[in-house]
Amino acid sequence: MSRIKRNLRVVRVLINMRLQNLMMFRLGFFGPFFVDSCVFLVQLCVFEAVYSNVDRIGTWGKGQMILYIGTFSMINAFNMVIYFFGINNIPDKIKNGDMDLYLTKPVSPLLRLTFERVNPGSVPLLFLSGVLIAYGIKEGGVKITPFLVLGYVFWIGIMTVLYYLVEVLIRSLSFFILTSGNAIILEEAGLTLCMQLPGIVFYGIYKVIFYMILPYGIMATLPVQFLTGEMTFTRAMWGVLVAADFALLTAFVWKQGIRHYNSASS
Amino acid sequence: MEIIETVGLTKNYRRFKKQAGIMGSLKGLIRREYEEKQAVSNLDLTIREGEFVGLIGPNGAGKTTLVKMLTGIIAPTCGTISVLGYYPNDLEHEFKQQYAVVMGQKSQLFFELTVEDTLRLFKEIYGLPEQEYQISKDYFVNLFQVQELMHVQVRTLSLGERMKMELIAALLHNPKIIFLDEPTIGLDAVASKQIRGFLAEINEKKGTTIVLTSHYMEDIKALCKRSIVINHGYKIYDGDTEKLFERFQKYKKITFIFHEPTLLPGLAFDARIMEQTPYKKVIVVPKENAAELLRALMSLLPIDITVEEEEIGTVVERIYQEGGKGFA
Repeated sequence: MSRIKRNLRVVRVLINMRLQNLMMFRLGFFGPFFVDSCVFLVQLCVFEAVYSNVDRIGTWGKGQMILYIGTFSMINAFNMVIYFFGINNIPDKIKNGDMDLYLTKPVSPLLRLTFERVNPGSVPLLFLSGVLIAYGIKEGGVKITPFLVLGYVFWIGIMTVLYYLVEVLIRSLSFFILTSGNAIILEEAGLTLCMQLPGIVFYGIYKVIFYMILPYGIMATLPVQFLTGEMTFTRAMWGVLVAADFALLTAFVWKQGIRHYNSASS
Repeated sequence: MEIIETVGLTKNYRRFKKQAGIMGSLKGLIRREYEEKQAVSNLDLTIREGEFVGLIGPNGAGKTTLVKMLTGIIAPTCGTISVLGYYPNDLEHEFKQQYAVVMGQKSQLFFELTVEDTLRLFKEIYGLPEQEYQISKDYFVNLFQVQELMHVQVRTLSLGERMKMELIAALLHNPKIIFLDEPTIGLDAVASKQIRGFLAEINEKKGTTIVLTSHYMEDIKALCKRSIVINHGYKIYDGDTEKLFERFQKYKKITFIFHEPTLLPGLAFDARIMEQTPYKKVIVVPKENAAELLRALMSLLPIDITVEEEEIGTVVERIYQEGGKGFA
């Protein structure tokens, strides 16, 4: 319990320091708000252009697709606001030997890396994603109940964690192969694809890839399926199982990686 | 009481051996050649609580690798290692709570923020109660005389000031052992002397065990009663620092600067002239003849004189050549 309390205090101070750090430079602080909002709007325009001539994607209509994009954006926004910029540096820190100082402090290096570079500039994405989800709910004619809201929030939470685990896992490969750049390129390509296509369109080998290996195919699909009443027990179990498997695998690879760490020459 | 103990400690690295040029790169794609590098070899070491030990050796000798193994950053290839009763690479929080490490070339401070901000983070990382934190911080801030620097951006500090802050950050939780890897690297003489003074006081008053690696003879001579010399991963000397320098530091380099063109008189003892211009003479003499040389050249009225110790690499080389292994 005291370990959890201490970790929470460390996280609070890390966020506090990051905000102070960003506020030292006015353009650096305000710039990302503008840039991230613009990127989001550009993505919407691309989506609009792609789907303006298509009525359905698989079994999903326009409302479900808007919900899907809003949900994916929401998960991605949490990723960008909370942990992306911290864990994205892991390969560099391994390569340059900067991990040394993280390993010598009595707090989890991963906890520190996760929260040391929060990015308030992406907070508008959370609001914009929320607006998109609300529009999708209206367009799809979803009748909202407290159970649906709670379940949806639960699935967003699980999938945000899954997203985090996949990112950490891929970047932890740097402990063993030093350059995980190609794996990150694959990850980004899969991510871009799954941002545009929901998991329901994947079959065969693609389903294996995007439901199991790079599980971006289920990340926004499962929360939407829950909200629209398409969630089955099997799908729910699959989602929880994949998240649990990735948690175990990531923890294993990270721990082995730390043991394997050779540090750069001084 | 022994708080650091290693037996047969060894660390091997495997590194890719690339032949020169594009053809070498192509060959490397198909058939890779590796070579084993032994960074630390079969090292036995015991350090008692409260000791101030110097780790000496030229670049690539294995000093930093040893420190990294002692702090758990890297795992040894073989051998046993115990620091404060822990196996360091298990990276247990209880172990990390009890030591600190300062790497002269790696900063743990947040450059855009103030030192006070970084110390706040360390307070939480080490779980220090507010009162204990304030007492510890005040003690070190007063000792290092840096009251006016606590609220300025770290990036605006000089190298010497920054190193003082690094030490405060490392010492804040009152560690039992502190590992210092080149803490005075790049510092001027005044800053180095100050840092040495602080370290001596911390060792004496707080009883902190200090393991110091340095290239600078002054650091080792002034601070460490005991020195361990490492070369090519092997321990070649472990013993009294004074005896080490008495026996193996045989020469002094003396530089004379003159106001007018000056000719060197004939010297009745062994002396090597390293550099000679009308206004400047650089002479290396056996240390027992240094005083005689100074006397001989003082009559020529030099305007500046510098006396330098032999470089650490030269001393290590000599220990190695003269079979320093007997001392290990």
